[in-house]
Amino acid sequence: MTPAISVTGLTRRYPDQVALDDVHLTIGTETITGLLGRNGAGKTTLLRILSGQEFPSSGSVRVLGSPPAENENVLRRLVLVREDQAYPDFKVSHALRAASFCYPNWDADLASSLLKDFGLRAGKAIKSLSRGQRSALGITIGLAARAEVTLFDEPYAGLDAVARQIFYDRLLAEYADFPRTVLLSTHLIDEAAALFENVVVIDRGRVVLDTAADGLRGMVTTVSGPVLAVDSFTEGRPVWERRGLGSQASVVMVGQVSGEDRERARSLGLDLTPLSLQQLVVRASGWAAGAGSLTERTSA
Amino acid sequence: MNTMIKVARYHLVTPVMFLGLPWAPLAGAFAFALARDTSHGGLVFIFFMFFVTGMQRIGGRWLPFGLALGATRRSFYAGTALLGVSMSLVYGLVIAGLQAIERATGGWGLSITFFRVPHLLNGPWYATWLTSFVGLSALFVYGMWYGIVNRRWGMLGLLAFVAVQALVVLAYFWAGLDRPLTSVSALDLTGVIAALAVVFLAGGHATIRRVTV
Amino acid sequence: MVREMAGLDEGGPLFAQVAERLAGEIADGGLAEGARVPSTNELAAFYRINPATAAKGINVLADEGLLDKRRGIGMFVAAGARATLLARRRAEFTGRYVEPLLTEATRLGIDADELIGLIKECSNERGGVAV
Repeated sequence: MTPAISVTGLTRRYPDQVALDDVHLTIGTETITGLLGRNGAGKTTLLRILSGQEFPSSGSVRVLGSPPAENENVLRRLVLVREDQAYPDFKVSHALRAASFCYPNWDADLASSLLKDFGLRAGKAIKSLSRGQRSALGITIGLAARAEVTLFDEPYAGLDAVARQIFYDRLLAEYADFPRTVLLSTHLIDEAAALFENVVVIDRGRVVLDTAADGLRGMVTTVSGPVLAVDSFTEGRPVWERRGLGSQASVVMVGQVSGEDRERARSLGLDLTPLSLQQLVVRASGWAAGAGSLTERTSA
Repeated sequence: MNTMIKVARYHLVTPVMFLGLPWAPLAGAFAFALARDTSHGGLVFIFFMFFVTGMQRIGGRWLPFGLALGATRRSFYAGTALLGVSMSLVYGLVIAGLQAIERATGGWGLSITFFRVPHLLNGPWYATWLTSFVGLSALFVYGMWYGIVNRRWGMLGLLAFVAVQALVVLAYFWAGLDRPLTSVSALDLTGVIAALAVVFLAGGHATIRRVTV
Repeated sequence: MVREMAGLDEGGPLFAQVAERLAGEIADGGLAEGARVPSTNELAAFYRINPATAAKGINVLADEGLLDKRRGIGMFVAAGARATLLARRRAEFTGRYVEPLLTEATRLGIDADELIGLIKECSNERGGVAV
């Protein structure tokens, strides 16, 4: 089956920097993928190129089988929700109306329901909306469009934690009803981690990690407790980091922890805390070597 | 064609703004002329407003949201131009109609001439319609070109754009190609304006191709 | 910070945790043999996770023969599933619970007889060992 998104050798150069550097990426249809990385890593540039709003400097980009730039057949089936979307000087209802005749799968009832969830009034002028309300509008359009390829670029600016949970819940519900290819760029990784089937980590314009999310969970664990016990437990296992203070030590250890391991740790009086996806990504960004050994283990 | 219709519908999602706004200054000027019982060239306002509308609809925030909704740059350009030209056709007829009423009522009963431009818009109704249609269209797409130049290259780009045009006009006069307006027939002038409109269309179309939002 | 997932955590693959939870329900008798297992979407909504992850969890159990698929209707607990799971847990019981118990007892200087006495005492307080 043709992948929803297929990128080879993608480079985007600006006068003062290289935003994307030889990016290779494949995203399958009907999946939710997390696009993760620090601010300025290149996530936004990638999403803008995928939606035809930016042009590559070199390389090939295919969305739903064809290059997206200036391609109506692709753009009709794609939606990008941007944090900084500019709207004309009109109302929320106008924006929704315009979207309704541009997206073939538009669901007007869903749009109304989402407006209600976010407490957004259709009659309000967009320029008078708060940052959070603008984000809510973007999310409403993005979900109600029911586009085959749905791209989110940090769509929750100004939304509080409750509103963000509404977004995640609605996204999952809509995805279950109407599966599509979702690419969600975020730096609030732990909040959204459970949604992702796959994660792609970008750092300084390059892909440093591209793997199944479940493959990462539990792969790296912090082992802490009495020094001797820690050393005994972690003997023979790859270790990323070791810290000690007096008779206590804390080691970041790579490798899945089995049930037996857990019991052994308990009997040794050790504490095992798995690194969350966010913590893993933080380490993957800017430490390609560490991430490399991680992908060796996780590629199945 | 389908997408161009969608673009037109998009612009008309606030119909009053798009369709009514060009008439606003003109209506004001007309009311003024009636009140003061004077003739003056208020008709120019609607031509000016078409220029402004063209510039705003392409160079303003209608473009980024239009692209976000899935229009391509070329179809957005073509759709906007098509809408502008269609409006020009209709409004040109309205102007011709108002001119006819003005003549029939002896200047609105006050001997005022408002809907008239000497030599250019002073003939039979169909000539007025044609010239108005071409003039409004030309100004609309001319404004569109300015809008795109501004979006791509900002203020500096606009200045350069104006400078180049000024040079072209200067060269025209220096080469002695100019002639008094009245020696050229209204129809010929209309033809020249139409040709210019085509140039503006092509220029704008070429400029929008690589614009990013 | 991490999204509340009805008890699932970041300690290991989510699909494996989902499978474990379902297996636990079957072993405890909460999901009787022949009963319909929650659908992928129902599980995903309950745990607030990706439906594909939930599906993977179900497939783990299906691959082990613990679930039957009936096309167009859903997944059902297979006959003998509970027995299989209980047998598996019995086999793991010694390694998982008895040996660590002995290790800890040894560390605290509790010998086998004392240990047995403690077990009986605890069992009596509970009113018999539950089966």
